[in-house]
Amino acid sequence: MLEVSDLKRGFGSGGTRLEVLKGVDLEMKKGELVALMGPSGCGKSTLLNIIGGLLDADSGEIKLEKSQYGTKPPRQTVDVRRNGVGWIFQDFHLLEHLSALDNVAVALEISGVSSKDAEERAKSALDRVNLSDRIDHIPEQLSGGQRQRVAIARAIAGERPLLLADEPTGNLDIASGEEILKLFQELCHDEKNPISILMVTHDPILASKADRMLLLRDGITAASDIKSAWGDSEEE
Amino acid sequence: MSKRTDKFGDSISNLGIKLRDAPDNLRLAIIGAWRGRERGMAVFAGVFLASLVITTVLSYGVGLSQVFFEGSLETNVFDAKVEYKKAPKEGTDGWSNNTSVLLDICDELTLMEEFNDCTVIFGKKGLHSALNFGNEDIFKAMPLLMQEVNSSDELRNWNDEEIWDYEYTTGPPIADSRAITFLGPGAFDGVLADRLSEQIIYDMGEWVSAEEVESQRGVYIPSDIASEADAVVGDKLEFLTFNYFTDSDYIGEIEDDDCDGEIVYGSENGFMHCQHSMTVENLTILGVYEPWPQGNPTLSANPIYSTFHVLNETQRVTLIDNDHIFLGITLERSLLPTTSTDDAADWLEALGKEVNEKTYHDGEIELYYVDIISGTILFLNIFLGLIQAFDYIIMVPIVILSLSVLIYGLILSLEQRRREISIHRVIGATSSGLRGMVLLELAVIASIAWFIGYLLAMAAVPIVLSSVGFLQFKALGYTVNPAISFGATIFTALATLGLALLFGRSRARDFMELEIDEGVSRIQKVNKPKVWLHWTLLLVGSLGAIDTWMEMNGSEDGILTNWFVEGLINVFGPFMLWIGGALILGRVGASGPRMMQFFFRRTPILSDIKRGLKGSGSTESVSRLAVIMLLTLSIVTLAAVQGYTGTLVDERTADVTVGSDLQIITSETVNATEVESYIAEISGKDVSINAMHIPQISLIPEDGEALVAYVILDDSENILRWLPQAIPGDQISGALEGYKNGGFTAGADAAYKMDLWGSGRSGAGDSGDILLGVNSENTENKTFIWEDVQVEFVEDGPPVTPMSILEGYKGLMERNWSDLNLSNQNLSGRDLGKADFTNTDMSGANLQGANLSDSLFFNVNLTNTNLVGANLQNSIFVIMPDSLTMTNLSDSNLAGAYDATNVLNFNSIDSIQDAICPNGNDENGTACSDGFNPIPPPLALQFFAPSSNIQITSTPYNTTLRYIGTHEFIPGVATDLMESSVIIGESGYRALVGDETVDNISATTWFVSIPDVTGEDLKALRASIEADSRFESAMDWETKHEEVERNGGLIFGTPGLLSLQFIVASIAAVASAFVFLSLVLNQRQKELAVLQAIGASPNQIIRLVLFEILSIVMVSMALGVMLGMGLALSFNGLFNVFGFIFQLLGGTGGESSVITRELVWPWLELGIVALAVFTSVVMALLITTRKALRSDLASVLKGE
Repeated sequence: MLEVSDLKRGFGSGGTRLEVLKGVDLEMKKGELVALMGPSGCGKSTLLNIIGGLLDADSGEIKLEKSQYGTKPPRQTVDVRRNGVGWIFQDFHLLEHLSALDNVAVALEISGVSSKDAEERAKSALDRVNLSDRIDHIPEQLSGGQRQRVAIARAIAGERPLLLADEPTGNLDIASGEEILKLFQELCHDEKNPISILMVTHDPILASKADRMLLLRDGITAASDIKSAWGDSEEE
Repeated sequence: MSKRTDKFGDSISNLGIKLRDAPDNLRLAIIGAWRGRERGMAVFAGVFLASLVITTVLSYGVGLSQVFFEGSLETNVFDAKVEYKKAPKEGTDGWSNNTSVLLDICDELTLMEEFNDCTVIFGKKGLHSALNFGNEDIFKAMPLLMQEVNSSDELRNWNDEEIWDYEYTTGPPIADSRAITFLGPGAFDGVLADRLSEQIIYDMGEWVSAEEVESQRGVYIPSDIASEADAVVGDKLEFLTFNYFTDSDYIGEIEDDDCDGEIVYGSENGFMHCQHSMTVENLTILGVYEPWPQGNPTLSANPIYSTFHVLNETQRVTLIDNDHIFLGITLERSLLPTTSTDDAADWLEALGKEVNEKTYHDGEIELYYVDIISGTILFLNIFLGLIQAFDYIIMVPIVILSLSVLIYGLILSLEQRRREISIHRVIGATSSGLRGMVLLELAVIASIAWFIGYLLAMAAVPIVLSSVGFLQFKALGYTVNPAISFGATIFTALATLGLALLFGRSRARDFMELEIDEGVSRIQKVNKPKVWLHWTLLLVGSLGAIDTWMEMNGSEDGILTNWFVEGLINVFGPFMLWIGGALILGRVGASGPRMMQFFFRRTPILSDIKRGLKGSGSTESVSRLAVIMLLTLSIVTLAAVQGYTGTLVDERTADVTVGSDLQIITSETVNATEVESYIAEISGKDVSINAMHIPQISLIPEDGEALVAYVILDDSENILRWLPQAIPGDQISGALEGYKNGGFTAGADAAYKMDLWGSGRSGAGDSGDILLGVNSENTENKTFIWEDVQVEFVEDGPPVTPMSILEGYKGLMERNWSDLNLSNQNLSGRDLGKADFTNTDMSGANLQGANLSDSLFFNVNLTNTNLVGANLQNSIFVIMPDSLTMTNLSDSNLAGAYDATNVLNFNSIDSIQDAICPNGNDENGTACSDGFNPIPPPLALQFFAPSSNIQITSTPYNTTLRYIGTHEFIPGVATDLMESSVIIGESGYRALVGDETVDNISATTWFVSIPDVTGEDLKALRASIEADSRFESAMDWETKHEEVERNGGLIFGTPGLLSLQFIVASIAAVASAFVFLSLVLNQRQKELAVLQAIGASPNQIIRLVLFEILSIVMVSMALGVMLGMGLALSFNGLFNVFGFIFQLLGGTGGESSVITRELVWPWLELGIVALAVFTSVVMALLITTRKALRSDLASVLKGE
C-alpha cells in the first residue's frame, strides 16, 4: 500500500549542508500499525512530512495506493493530503473557533464532500472515537485526550488509507496516551475498513504495542521489525 | 562597615550594574524592535500619526495667528506714527520746526534694529497720548483736509463740490473729507516705497524716486478721485488748496475772536475747529492708486499723497507749529514675535516705551510713539480665538483616530508578545526586567515615530496654511514659521510617546499579573463591551444628522425645534455619532463575512470553504481592523464632503455677490453696446465682452397687489453665474428655458401672496425646489398688468413744469437734508419738519417718533426705514415704488401725505397698523388701501397754477405668464427684495413694454462677462475701470473670491485642515489596512498551515482569506463612508453656527449668507480613496497569504 524507495532529503547548502535522509526504503501493508523510532534529529519527522506531502524530497519515490510523489512540492500534493493521508499532531492543531463537528467536517468539505454528507460522516467519525456526546464543544472546552480524538476523527473521516501521527501522545497523560493507542489498534484492525498508521514516537512501551517498529538511523531505515531493531541497537 | 553604608553600597553597585547594562539593553531593545518589525509597525504607525496630527494642530494654531497677523498688517503702510511728545508751543522745549532736524531724527530712529524705514510727514496732527476709547483728544488730531484743486484743463472736473467728501468707516468720526499727506524723501525709497508703490494701478503712473517727485512736484491720487475728477496721470494742477487747523475744542469753546481763520464744526462729534487754508502750486499727477481697505484709524485712510518739497519753508514751519507733523515709521516685521499675539503686543509696548524714554538730536527733542499695529492685535485675538476653537473641534476626530490607531497598535503588538513574556517568566525572568524590556523596545520605536511625525508636521503646516480650498493651494505671499514653543513640544511628546509608554506599562503589568499558563494558552478572555452605551451615543448623535438632512430636504427646522438642544446637539452630536457609530458599526463590519456568506454560500466561491469561515470575525483583532477602517473612512468622507462643500460655498459666495465676472456701475445711463466698448477700450485687448442689465418693473397680478418684477434677459445664461440654489429645480438651463418661454418664478412671500404652490401655505408638500413643467398640477397661468404711467401738466396760465413745482417747494423748506447718506442712522424723535430730503438714502434709518411733516421726499430710499409713530402729515413723496419696501409706518400720521407721481401704494411695506391714513381716516384694519392723498398738500398748492393740474395717464398692458416655481435670488442682485418679488423672462417683458424699450435698455448697473480675462488680469481691469471717470464703481469676481477663499465656506483656515484631515486619514486608512492585516494574518499563519495539512489547496486558502478579510474591509468601508456622510450632515450644524459667528465678526456682508450650505458629495475622490484602500488591502492580503503559502508548512506546524 505504501512504498517508499530511496528517499533522500538534505537541509541547508554548502558547508552547512546536512543530509538527513540518505535513501530511506520502507513498505507498509494495509491495516498495519507501524512505530517509527530513532534518536532526535535523525529525520523521523522529515520522513513523515514527506510522506504526508508537507515537504518535498530531493530524490526518491513514494507510492501510496494510486498516487506517486515524493519530490513534488507541497502545493502539488494537495490530493495526497486530501485523500491519501490523515494527519495527527502532537499539538492536535484543531481550529480554535470551530466546534468538534465542524473541525472534522471542514476537512471533508475542503475535499469536495457536500455539506450534508460531510456532517454525517463527521458525526460517524466522532462516534468512532467515542466523542458523539461532545460534537458541539469547541477545542477549548475539551481535554487533551478528547482534543486528540477529535483530531483522529478528522483524520479518519475522509477514509484515507494512511494516518500519520507525529508524537500523538506527547502532550497527553499516560492514561489518555494508552487510550489513543488502543484506538489506533482498533482502527488498524478494523475488519471492514482497516487503516494503516505510521506513528513517530519516543516511547518504547508505546512502540512495542505497534505491529512493527522501524528504526531510523544515519538517514536510513535500520530495521524493519521490532526484533532486529532492538537487536541492532543492542549491538551498537 | 555599618549596615546603612552596606545598603548604600548595594544601591551604588546596583546603579553601576544598571549603567553598565544600559547600552547593552538599548542595543537589545533596538534589535528586538527591528526583529519584531511587523508588530513594531503598528506602534510606529500609531505614534507617528498621533504625533503628526497633534503637532500639526498646535503648530497650525501658531501659524494661523502669524498668517492672520501678517495679513492684517498688509493694510498698513506705516507701522507707527512718531510725534513730538508734546504739541509744539512757542517757548517750550522738546521740539523743533526745522525740517532737517526731523530728517536727522528719522536717521537716528532707523539706526535702531527694530525700524527699517522712516520719513517725515506733514499731515495729521499729533495725539500725544494713547489711542484708546474715551480719549477725546482723538477728535482734536485733525488731518490736513482737501479743499480745492484748480486745473486749467477744461476736460477735468475738479469743481464738483462732493469730490472731496469721504466716508471714514473705521474709528471715531473725526472728519468727513479727503485728507492730504505730504511725504518726505524717505517715503520714495526703501520699504515705504515698496509698500506705497504696491497699490499704484498698472499703467497709471509709477511711484517715482525722491528726486523725481521733488523735481516734478508730484501728486498721487486714489482711483475714486481720479474717476470723479476725470483726471489722468500727467495732469497739471495749477493750484491745490488744503486746510490746516490751528485750534480745536468742544463746540462753543472757540470764540470768533480767537480764530483768525474759519470756524468749522466736526462731523457728529461735538467739536469745533479753527481752520486755515494753504495753497501749493504747479503740481503734476504722477500716479493713481487703488485705495487700501480702511484699517487702523490712527492715520487718515487713502489720502492724496504729495512730497513735502512742494511746501515752501514758511508753510512747513506753519504746519509744524500747528502740530501737523509726524514721522511715519516701518518696523522690521521679521523681528516681531509671531508666536502669539500677546507676545507681539508686549514687544510693541516695550518698543514704544523705549522710543518715548529716549531723547533725540542731542537731547533736544522728545518723541511720542503711537503704535498702529497693536490696535490690529486686539481685534485679532478675539477672532483668532474663535477660529482656533472651531478648528480644534474639527480636528478632534483625527486626533481620536490617531490615538486609537496608537492604542490598537499597542494592544496588537503586545498581544503577540504575550506568550513570549510568559515563556520568559517560566525561565525565570523578573517582572520588572520583562517590563523594562518591553518598555524600552516600545520607547525606541515610539521616540523615532514621534520625532518623524513632529518633523513632518512642521513641514506640513505652511502647506496647510496656504490652502485656498479643499486640496487647492496657493502661495501665501509671506513666510510663516510655525515653530511651537518648548512647552507645546513637550506636550506633543507626552500625548503620544508618553501615552504609548503609559499604556504599554499598564498593559505589560497586566500580563505580569496573568497566570503563567493563562499567558501561554492562546485563548484570551475578552471584556464585554458596553453595548448600551455605544447605542446611546449613536442614537443621540444621529439626531443632529437627521435634523440637517430634514432641513436640507425642505423641512422648516427639522426635528430639533429648541435652539438650545439643537445647539448642544450641533456641538457634541457629531462626536457621539462618530464614536458610537464606529463601535456599533465596527461589530457589523466584523461580521461582514457572515453577511457576505448569505449571498455566496451556495456559489462555487464558498461551497467548499464556508465551514472554515465559521466564527471568523469573532476575534478581537479582526473587529479592531473593522473599527479602524470605519474610523478612517468616515473621516476621509467627512473631510472630503465638508472640504468640497466649503470650497463650493466660497465660489458661490463670490458668484452671488458679483453675479458675473464684473459688476459695474456707470456714471451715466448707457446701453449695453456702450458699456462693452468702454471696457474693450480700457482693457485694450481683443476679448469678447458681454454686458447685461437686469431691469426691474412694477407688475400687478390680476386681483393682486403690485410686486417688483426682475427681468431675466435671454442671454443671461452666458453672462450671469447662475447656481442651482437660485432657481427652481436643479437644472439651470431648464429654469432659464422656462423664463424664455414665458414663465415666471416667485419668491416665497410673493408666492404666498398670489396663493401659488411653493409658498408652504398649505403645509407640508406645498413647497419644494422643483421646476414646474407644463403638465404639472401645480403650475398655473397668471395675468400681470403693467401700468405705463405718464405724467402730464396741463397748463392754462403761467408755464409750470414739474421741476419748477419742486424747486418752488424746496424753497419753502427750512432744513436742507438733501444728498445725505442716513442709511441705518438713528434719528428717532428728531424734529425734521419742513426738511428737504432730496436724494437722501434713509434705508434702514430709525426715525421713530420723528417730526417729518411737510417734508419733501424726492428720490429718497425708505427701504426698511423705521417710521413708527412719525409725523408725516402733508409730506410730499416723489419716489420709486420699490423705495417703500419693508418700511414700518405703524402708528404714524400720514394725513394729507401726497404722492406726486401717483404710483405708490402700501403693499410692500412692513406695517401700517394704527396709523392715520393719507385720507385722514384711522387705519383700523384697512391697511390704508386708498393709498396716498391725490391732492397736493396746502403748502404746495400755491405752485400749481390755479387752472393748471397734473394729468396722469395710466395705460395698462397685460400679459399672461406661466408659473414655473419658486426662486431664491438672482446672482449679483441684492437679496433683500427677492422673497417678495417675481422674476419674468425677456419675452414677457417684451410683451409688456414693447420691443423698442427692450432693444434699447439704458442703465447704470451692468453685469459683464469677460471669459478670457481671469485672475490677476481681471483684478487689474477692475482697478482700471474704477479709476475711469465713466464708471462709478466696479467689483470683480476674483477679488470677491479671494476675500473668502481662505475661509473654506466662511471659516478661516478650514480648507487646509480639512485637506490635511483627508490626506492623513487616507494615508492612515491605507497604512493601517496594511499593518493590521499583516498582524492579523501573522496570527493566523498556523491556522492556514493546519488547513493545508488537512487537505486545503492553495486556491482554497486564498479564497478563504480573501473572502473573509475583503468582506470585513468592504462592509466596514461602506459603513465608514455611510458614517462619514452622517457625520458630515451632523457637522453641518456646527459649520453653520460658526459660519454665522464669523460672518458677524468678519463683516463679509450679509449678502453671502444666502448661500445655503448644501453638502456636495465628492464621489470621485471618495472612490479613489476607497479604491486605494481596497488595493492596498488586496496587496497586503496577497503578500501575506503568499508568505503563508510559501512558508515551510512542516515548521509552521511544529511551531518553529
